[in-house]
Amino acid sequence: MGNPMNRVHALALASALFFAGLPAGTAQAADSEVVVLTSYPEEMTTRYEEAFERAHPGIDLRIVWQQGRDAMATLRAEGRGGIDVYWSPAAFNFPTLADEGVFLPLAVNRAEVPGKIGVQPISDAARRYEAFEVAGYGLAINEKPLADKHIPMPSRWDDLAKPAFDGLVVMPVPSEVGFAPSLYDVILQDKGWSAGWAMLSEMAANASLAQRGGQILGPVIDGKAAAALTIDFMPRNAIAEGQPLTLIYPARTAFLPAYVAIVASAPHPTAAKVFTDYVLSSAGQKLLFRREINRYPIRPDAYDDVDGKTVNPFAVSPGATYAYDLSMGPARGPLISTLFNVAITARQDKLRTLWRAIQAAEAKGVSPATKEARALAGWVPVPDNDAVAAKVIMSFRPAKADAAPTAQMKAWADALDERQARALALVSK
Amino acid sequence: MHLSARACAVLLSLWSSSVRAADGTVTLATGPAAYQQPLPGLTGGDFETFREGAGVFRAAWLKGPSIDTPRFTGLGPLFNRRSCVACHIGNGRGEPPAETSDQTRSLLIRLSLPGADATGGPRAHPAYGDQIQTDAVIGAKPEGRVSFHWVETGVTLGDGTAVLLRRPEIVLRDLAHGPLPAEIQMSARISPAVFGLGLLEGVSGETLTKMAREKKADEVRGRVNMVWDVGRKQAVPGRFGLKANQPTLRQQIAAALAGDMGITSSFLLGDECPAAAKDCREAGSTPEIADADFEALVRYVAGLAPPPPRPRDAVAAVGAKTFADIGCAACHRETLEAQGTVLAAYTDLLLHDMGGDLADGRPDFLASGREWRTPPLWGIGLVGTVNDTAAFLHDGRARTLTEAILWHDGEAKPARDRFARLSKETRDALLAFLGTL
Repeated sequence: MGNPMNRVHALALASALFFAGLPAGTAQAADSEVVVLTSYPEEMTTRYEEAFERAHPGIDLRIVWQQGRDAMATLRAEGRGGIDVYWSPAAFNFPTLADEGVFLPLAVNRAEVPGKIGVQPISDAARRYEAFEVAGYGLAINEKPLADKHIPMPSRWDDLAKPAFDGLVVMPVPSEVGFAPSLYDVILQDKGWSAGWAMLSEMAANASLAQRGGQILGPVIDGKAAAALTIDFMPRNAIAEGQPLTLIYPARTAFLPAYVAIVASAPHPTAAKVFTDYVLSSAGQKLLFRREINRYPIRPDAYDDVDGKTVNPFAVSPGATYAYDLSMGPARGPLISTLFNVAITARQDKLRTLWRAIQAAEAKGVSPATKEARALAGWVPVPDNDAVAAKVIMSFRPAKADAAPTAQMKAWADALDERQARALALVSK
Repeated sequence: MHLSARACAVLLSLWSSSVRAADGTVTLATGPAAYQQPLPGLTGGDFETFREGAGVFRAAWLKGPSIDTPRFTGLGPLFNRRSCVACHIGNGRGEPPAETSDQTRSLLIRLSLPGADATGGPRAHPAYGDQIQTDAVIGAKPEGRVSFHWVETGVTLGDGTAVLLRRPEIVLRDLAHGPLPAEIQMSARISPAVFGLGLLEGVSGETLTKMAREKKADEVRGRVNMVWDVGRKQAVPGRFGLKANQPTLRQQIAAALAGDMGITSSFLLGDECPAAAKDCREAGSTPEIADADFEALVRYVAGLAPPPPRPRDAVAAVGAKTFADIGCAACHRETLEAQGTVLAAYTDLLLHDMGGDLADGRPDFLASGREWRTPPLWGIGLVGTVNDTAAFLHDGRARTLTEAILWHDGEAKPARDRFARLSKETRDALLAFLGTL
């Protein structure tokens, strides 16, 4: 160093640290890198790269970023794309890949990582993949439009289907927004398939439909809408950034996991274990509380030092959640998305007209005609039995909202047209 | 991208503690998202493009092919990070590796050989190019790993206060193409914050030249870097980059996409692999960002507003006066004329000799190895609000604004010496003023 200023004097050189003299991080770590496939946001993977490599300086964390379908293709390809660890919120991929023998069982200490929240299991019973974090489903609320219109704070999903919420709701389209199939499945499993769809149909008459994740919170932040159905980390991040939102968990909801798993053919198996151990460790779990990540740990001890504002899923009241069936939700995501597009996305204007007419008629007095109209309007063309039948569920494949309709989708649309026309006629007399 | 005078006027007149965007969005302009706010003048389709560009800024790119995100394929084969946001979290600054075992995440190493290329710019290394790319798609080898070894020194201020300074020594390992030659020129750069740039683009070359010619106190000089404009194929005044080595925001962004992420654009086509890097060429394709996405990205970055200055209390008012009195404002000008309006950017966008200890020894067009562009100070008071760690100066060596000031030398030596002689009370007032920016 030169002489940057008159009164500068050299104190001391820092202790000479060189890589050769550093501890290896882990005694058994023979691998110099670990290749991790993920679709977590960049802000989050960056923080994990920094923290993991600081904890294990001998191992370079290399990220391969792919969303769900790309990841499936990579992990089904010969050599599994050179991937060591799959670490992703694309939860629906894990059971499928595990059944195909892609993963190695993990050694997890159930005293620290319980693999369940209350009555709800969140990890694979065979330990082929393990919950890494959980996200809840709830409502992002802007209290100002509610106050302006003297509408009470909603506490149940059904509240958003009430006429008072006309124009004030944002619903994500499940074929376009990654988390939304699970969101709707949480509602449908709780309310029951047919009743749940009837409620969603009536709610859609109040809603704008968000085709992209970025469109969900915007109208609520702007105050044009009052409530958006959402995965919780989105409003949590927005609230942390100072946006005027409140997050509530309506009764009843569920906390769904994202997973981590080691690929059986991992080129760097030792480093793969070091990485999975790290992300499931107390230190790795507490990183989830960082402002730019804002997700919920799956270790109860990670919540030991949090402030009172942080929801602890392990401590929510028993009535707020239920034993959500994890095996069902991911599997019927494509069915839910397809049905949503036929029964809601493609006919939202008609639904608005129909439900307004029914609500207007009911306001004058509930009658056999209004009851029949309500039943017809909320009818869903997939019966309850089919909604839990594996062969029906598995016959659906992910399709975007603008995909050409199949013969089955056309038949659904025709059946909906016929019943909804009858419903409208009943309340238009 | 030039913003209209109306947009600038709107910006200046509407600065307040919250921002209402054209679509009615109201956000807290001084919170963690302070660097992510749109200029108040953005309306209609421009605002939609801004939002679209925000998505491109945040997108993680991948090698491809892709079913899910074909729009964002073409990463690498060599790269530093997979997204813009990874280096500019919250649109804020990067940070240097804190410990010798840490790798660089939001800091890169510029490389060159002595001499200049055909455009007058730095002469790239035949194998490594003009920066070390520390990551690569699977199948290609990263060019190397970079970390810092910190060397600490102490400074004693006039009132006896001791300040510990640190400067980095660059540590390279796993170099893919063998060791670098002894004459290599290396410069460590943390990623800068990315707001207010559209407004700075409105500062004309004539204004820069006029400011350079003005006689300034303390023998402060300041000169305009003349750099290669790829579009116009001629040398023009530089504005962006730590050495003002980029003439336009469009070129700056295209260069960052190509160099930091391996993403070519219509603006900057070409093979991102250096001629000698055979495995790089064999591993990758020639990816390209769609023109609409590139345009949205440029308009997003151009449309990001500087945060509004917070009200000055009596202490900060003393600090503002001190800032001017001791000579800081000779380079960090309180006002900057841009398209008929006035920006409180606290920069002159000119090159200044900052002395030997900040010198990187790597010339860049007309900028010498001792010269750096005066960085804007607007928004600097919110660095700790936007990001967890604060890192100042080109390589992030300064952990506080006091450290950053004490590293000033060369043309800034008189101002730095005056700062070092201030009483603690006045020094704190100056820092309080900077905290309001």
